[in-house]
Amino acid sequence: MGIIDILYDNFHYLVACLLFLIGFHTMLTHSNLIKKIMGMNIMDTAVFLLFISSGFVRGGKAPIVGPGTEGPYVNPIPSALILTGIVIAVSITAFALSLIVTLYKQYGTLDADKIAELRTKER
Amino acid sequence: MLHLPVLAVVISLLGAYLIPLIYHFRRNLASVVAVGISGLALCFSAATAVYVSRYGAFSYLLGMWSIPWGIEVYVDRMSAFMMLVISSITFLVMLYAMEDVRHELTEAPRKWYWTLNLLLLASMMGVVMAGDLFNLFVFVEISSIAACGTISVKGDRRAVEATFRYLVLSTLGSGALLLSIALLYMVTGNLNMTYISGEIQKAAFLYPKNLYAALTFMVVGFGVKSALFPLHSWLPDAHSAAPAPSSAVLSGLVVKIYIFALFQVLSRVFGPVIAGIPVETVVLLMATMAVVLGSVLAMGQKELKRMLAYSTVAQVGYVFMGLALGADRAVAGGMMHILTHALMKSSLFLAAGSVLYKTGKKNITDLAGLGPRMPVTMGVFSLAAASMIGVPLLGGFVSKWYLALGATDAGKSFYALIIIVSSFLTALYFLPPVISAFFGKQPDDSVGKGIDEAPAVMLVPMVILSIALLGVGLFPSLVLGLLGYRG
Repeated sequence: MGIIDILYDNFHYLVACLLFLIGFHTMLTHSNLIKKIMGMNIMDTAVFLLFISSGFVRGGKAPIVGPGTEGPYVNPIPSALILTGIVIAVSITAFALSLIVTLYKQYGTLDADKIAELRTKER
Repeated sequence: MLHLPVLAVVISLLGAYLIPLIYHFRRNLASVVAVGISGLALCFSAATAVYVSRYGAFSYLLGMWSIPWGIEVYVDRMSAFMMLVISSITFLVMLYAMEDVRHELTEAPRKWYWTLNLLLLASMMGVVMAGDLFNLFVFVEISSIAACGTISVKGDRRAVEATFRYLVLSTLGSGALLLSIALLYMVTGNLNMTYISGEIQKAAFLYPKNLYAALTFMVVGFGVKSALFPLHSWLPDAHSAAPAPSSAVLSGLVVKIYIFALFQVLSRVFGPVIAGIPVETVVLLMATMAVVLGSVLAMGQKELKRMLAYSTVAQVGYVFMGLALGADRAVAGGMMHILTHALMKSSLFLAAGSVLYKTGKKNITDLAGLGPRMPVTMGVFSLAAASMIGVPLLGGFVSKWYLALGATDAGKSFYALIIIVSSFLTALYFLPPVISAFFGKQPDDSVGKGIDEAPAVMLVPMVILSIALLGVGLFPSLVLGLLGYRG
């Protein structure tokens, strides 16, 4: 099996890694607060993708077991867990955005560097 | 099966959402109910600790679903000890907050303060007793959000800015944590800690790289959240901008539960394979930097609460050091330092809070001459500062003593030396405020006029903390007995 095949079979993991790096980079290097939150969400999505795709079975069905159904089924546990993960990510995003609103009202800017500058002057 | 540990979490969660309702109808009752609930949680934790020390560790299956399908709560001596520390400190701090938030917070966010505190209490207890990784993650997230909430509730721009940075970095930490859990689940097919550790040897043979990555993300994730030295940049601002009672809980407890969680995961999940991976070496290096550089940075601070926050960075290093050294007495010292540091740091922050309450001043130089005017507050402050330095007969001495003994047991006496050097550095920044409070004078005599002691409801918790600190120093065998160590 060549490297192309390996990459093709694990395509979703590759995408998850790329997304994680994009999110991480955006979160840490952009000074715009909203972009930081966007980066944070991209990073979270990457982790969700990785977790969900680990439970995927090629050709598998939704695991609703009744009379007459037979496998293979997709592993439902990662999906169930990620549902919780998404709820957590949403609440953190909401909280962060509300903080940004307050910051904008009080500093008049969304730029993290400018806010840091104003803060050092205060001290 | 003993229901008490789970009930302690459940009543705190229920209480958290009842408080706004109670506040709506009876404004004065809300804080009393909140303190009562945390007191009840304290009783439950104490009963659990007694049960565990008599009958040993036990696991509780939620909804009677057997593992690995159901959710397991696992309470051993260490988790019971942590529960007791968490609930008792939270109870005392909330008692103090009853009066303090009236002064420090505006009307609107005040009702949420109790909700946030109870959520924080519930989630911290959840973290220490979680038996599977995903529940651990969920409780860690609740505690992160609640902890951020207790800072931003103050509402001034400094607090909001500090909260934002804390939130972003702690989300980074939780991303790493979830990634690590995903990698572990992929190679072992389980989330329950006991089951993962049963599978991990096979996984280490088949997929070693996945395990290394999972381990790295786990250490980084918890490292960011517990402010291990190079990852500490959010802590000083967040802990100093918060209202005084929140600072006490954040510095005293919140950073430590993440260390404890990391320790639990490393010993219970990675236990069988950890010997071949030099993770202790890395953690010890970071802890050493924390202990020395945290103290050095604390010396340069003008503001009292900022100095205390930097000192937390250093003290977190001690706990990491003890748990990473691995010898029995070092681990006992590390666990004990969780307790003694919680006692010391919360009494220091509460004392700083009552100075702020009475004088409105926050710099170290403003303490000059306050000793005779606020004897109880400054007495508590001095006792905790002395314990921080490591004066014998106080709690801080005992935990440092065990850390140093443990370092020698582990054959790494170098770290005993580091502890002595750092104690000296600690003295350098804790003695000046104490000396100037009792022997210094304000430049202008009229400044301190009319300043007297803080109200009794604030003094009582501080005094109880000090007595506990003395108690731990005089009878360390009680604490060690609770942890299951002899000698």
